[in-house]
Amino acid sequence: MATKERKRRGKWDTFKSEDNASSSGAGSSDKDTAAAVPKAASHNLSGENSSSVMVDEFGAKDYRKDMPLKADFSARPLWVAPDGHIFLESFSTVYKHARDFLIAISEPVCRPQHIHEYQLTAYSLYAAVSVGLQTKDIIEYLERLSKSQLPKGVITFIQMCTVSYGKVKLVLKHNRYFVESRHSDVMQKLLKDTVIQSCILDDRVQPAQQTDLPAQEKIKFSHGNENDGADKDGADNADGKVPADIDEFFGKMDGDDEEDAEIRNLQLLTFEIKQETIETVQRRCIELEYPLLAEYDFRNDTMNPNLGIDLKPSTTLRPYQEKSLRKMFGNSRARSGVIVLPCGAGKTLVGVTAVTTVNKRCLVLANSNVSVEQWRAQFKLWSTIQDKQLVRFTREAKDPAPSGADATKPVVCISTYSMVAYSGRRTLQAEEAMKFIEKQEWGLLLLDEVHTIPAKMFRRVLTIVQAHCKLGLTATLVREDDKITDLNFLIGPKIYEANWMELQKAGHIAKVQCAEVWCPMTSAFYSYYLRSQIARKLLLAVMNPNKFRICQFLIKFHERRNDKIIVFSDNVFALKRYAIEMQKPFLYGETSQNERMKILQNFQYNPRVNTIFVSKVADTSFDLPEANVLIQISAHGGSRRQEAQRLGRILRAKKHSTDQFNAFFYSLVSQDTVEMGYSRKRQRFLVNQGYAYKVVNRLPGMEQEDLKLSTKESQLQLLSQVLATSDADAEEEDIKEELADGTIRVARREATMASMSGGQGAQYHAKAKAIAERHPLFKRFRQ
Amino acid sequence: MVNVKKGVLVTSDPAFRQLLFHLDESRQLGSKFIVRELDDTHLFIEKDIVPMLESKVEQIMENMNPETNDNK
Repeated sequence: MATKERKRRGKWDTFKSEDNASSSGAGSSDKDTAAAVPKAASHNLSGENSSSVMVDEFGAKDYRKDMPLKADFSARPLWVAPDGHIFLESFSTVYKHARDFLIAISEPVCRPQHIHEYQLTAYSLYAAVSVGLQTKDIIEYLERLSKSQLPKGVITFIQMCTVSYGKVKLVLKHNRYFVESRHSDVMQKLLKDTVIQSCILDDRVQPAQQTDLPAQEKIKFSHGNENDGADKDGADNADGKVPADIDEFFGKMDGDDEEDAEIRNLQLLTFEIKQETIETVQRRCIELEYPLLAEYDFRNDTMNPNLGIDLKPSTTLRPYQEKSLRKMFGNSRARSGVIVLPCGAGKTLVGVTAVTTVNKRCLVLANSNVSVEQWRAQFKLWSTIQDKQLVRFTREAKDPAPSGADATKPVVCISTYSMVAYSGRRTLQAEEAMKFIEKQEWGLLLLDEVHTIPAKMFRRVLTIVQAHCKLGLTATLVREDDKITDLNFLIGPKIYEANWMELQKAGHIAKVQCAEVWCPMTSAFYSYYLRSQIARKLLLAVMNPNKFRICQFLIKFHERRNDKIIVFSDNVFALKRYAIEMQKPFLYGETSQNERMKILQNFQYNPRVNTIFVSKVADTSFDLPEANVLIQISAHGGSRRQEAQRLGRILRAKKHSTDQFNAFFYSLVSQDTVEMGYSRKRQRFLVNQGYAYKVVNRLPGMEQEDLKLSTKESQLQLLSQVLATSDADAEEEDIKEELADGTIRVARREATMASMSGGQGAQYHAKAKAIAERHPLFKRFRQ
Repeated sequence: MVNVKKGVLVTSDPAFRQLLFHLDESRQLGSKFIVRELDDTHLFIEKDIVPMLESKVEQIMENMNPETNDNK
C-alpha cells in the first residue's frame, strides 16, 4: 500500500516526504548538511542513557531512581532529564529567572500553560556561548535551578558543546575579512588545517595592534524604560521565596556579559581570508569544532560613516523587543543571529531599532515588493530617517542609486531577495544599483522572513553583499525539510525567541480563538472521493458543498459583527469558485500588482468590502492590520509553517474590542478525508506555542441562514463541474499555485523582469542591441 | 420460497455509507457484503464479514491520519 502511494507522482509524494522528514526529527542530521554540522552537534542525549529508563505505554519516562530530589526542591523550577529535555514549571516563583536563562541555552519545544518543555541541543548551546555565557556559568546556574542533581550526561554534553565555541571570530574590516582569536593554540590549529590554509590571503599571522579599549558603555535603545525590567524583577523577589543562590546568580548572569579580563589581556591574533572562501572557512571551522562568531564593533568603526538617524522620541519599544535587542548588542558589539518573534509582534520595529543602533549603511532584504513598501513606511514612521536616505531597489520602484557626491553618504537600501540574487541580464539602471550594493561595506544586513529563503539563493546574496553583521527576523523557525539548521551557519545562532502566550496575555498580540470546523462530506462527493486519484481527492475535499455552506455561514456571521475576514485557499480553482459564487474579491499569484493594491486598499478602508479571498501569496508579509477573522478552506498539506504564518495575518493587536477573544481562526476540514490528518499535523507548531484548537462539529443557527448549495440539484451540478475539470486542469491549477510560492516565483519573475523593468525600456533595448550587431559597413552607410 | 440470512444492521452517516458502498463494489474484502439498503442511514450486511470489515475500516482510518502512524 505504502509503495503504491509512493509511486504516484505529484502533491501526495511531497506531503509524504515532508512527513518523513519532520518525523525523523532533529536528532538525525540531514545528509546534505551533514558536512556542515559540527561533530558535537550530532551527539544527542536521547540515545545514551535510555537503556535503564522505564518507559510507560504513553512514552513517558520514569526517572525516579536516577534523579533524587534536593531537599528544597519545591522552590526550584526545573526538571532536567538525562535526555537533555528540561521541564519548567511556569507557576514557580522563580519562573522569570529560569525562563530567560532557558531561552538562552536551549530550544523551546512546547510551551502550554503550566509546564514548558525545552531541549538542550548543540546549536542552542552554541547560541548561548555566542551571547556571552560561559561553560561553567551555564552548568552552575542549571544546577541551582534544578530540582535534582544534574545528570552527568548533561554536564558532559554542555561541556563538550560549549568549550570550543566562541573563541574564534570573523571580523570584516575595510572590506576585508579577518579571522581573529585571542587563543594562540586555537589559532595554530586552524592554521595547520589544509583547507583553511588554501583560503588564507596572507599567511603571516599578525598580532593586531592593541588599541586602547575605550570604556564600554551600555547601549541604550529607547527613552526611559531601560530600568523597568530590573525594577520589576526586584519587586518579584521581595514577595516570592526565591532561594538566595538563584537570585544572586541571576543578577550576575544578567549583568556579566563581558569577556573575562584575563582573556582580554591575551594578544589578539588575526589572519586575513579571501572573500570568496568565507563559507568554506566557516564550514571548516565548524568541522574543527571552532565555529566562527561574526561580530561587529560598530562603535569603533571609523571607516564607515554614521547614518545619523535615531528613533523618534515618540517611539517606544515593548519589553520583549528591547530584550531581544539587548541580546543582540550584548557586549556593545553587534552579533549576527536570528530573532524570532510572532507575526504581528513588531518585528519591523526591532529591525528599525537595530538599524538606528548600528547607525551605519544598512541593507534590508524582504521577500516581496509589497513588504519592501511596508518596510519603507515603517522606517519613516519610527525613525528620523530622511527620504533621500532611503533607497528602494525593486522591480517596480527603483530609486536611483546615489551617485556623485552622495555616493559615499550612508543610506538604508531596501530590496528583495530575488532582486539581489538575480543572475541574468539586468537593465542599465539595475546594473548600477547592483554595483552600488556590491561596492558598499554594509554595517547591517537585515533579512526579513528569513525562514522562507532557499539556501541556494541565500548563499548568492551572501557572496554579493558584504556586511559586518547579519540579523534575521522570522516568526516561525520551522521548516518541513529540516533545512533550518542551515541558517545557523549562514547567519548565526538564534538570539532570542519570544513566548507567544505571554505576549498574548500582555496584549501585545491579539487573543485568538482557533477552531477546527469539521464539515461532513456529502454522500455524492464522498463516493467520487473514494474512487479518485489523490489530486482530485484534494479538490473534491475542498469543494465539499458542506464546507462551502459553512464557509458562507461564517462569513455572514462575522460580517454582521463588522469583522474583517480573510479566506485562504491554496487551490486556485476552489478560490475562484468560492469567491465568484459569493461575489467577493479575490487575489492570487496572477493578479497584477496594481489590482492587488486596489483590493487590499478597499479591504482596509472600504466598509463595504469586509471579505477577501486570497491564495497562498498572502501567507507572509501581507500586513493587513484590520483583519481579525481568518477562514482557511484549503492548505498546503501538513505544513506547520504555513499555518503559523497564516495565523500571523490576524495576530496584530486589536485596539477596540474588549471581548475575551478578539480574533478568530477557523480551519475548515472535510471529515473522513486526508485533510483531517494534515490538519492535525499543521496544528502541531501552534499547539506547541500553547494554542488550543476547539473542534466544532456543528454551528448553531446554520439552519435559519439562507445559504447557497442547499438543494441536492445544485450540489450535483457543482460536483459535475468539479469532475469536468480535466485531470490536466487540476494539474495546471497545481502548478499555477506553485508559481505563487516564493521559491518558484523567482523563476517566474526572472522571465518577466526584462519586460517589467519598464516596457518601453525593453523595446528600446532590443533595438539598440540589433544596431550594435550590425556590420560596421552598414553602420557607416546608415550614417 | 423464503430465504433466511443472518445479518447485521449498520447505522452510519452518509459519508461512511459511501465508504461501505465503495468497499462493496470494489470487492476489497473478497466479495460483496451488502444485503440490502434499508434507508438513508441504515444498511443490512452479512454477518460473517463484520470482523474483516472492522479491521479494514480501522486501517483506512489510520491511513487518513498519517500522524498517528509515527509514534506520536
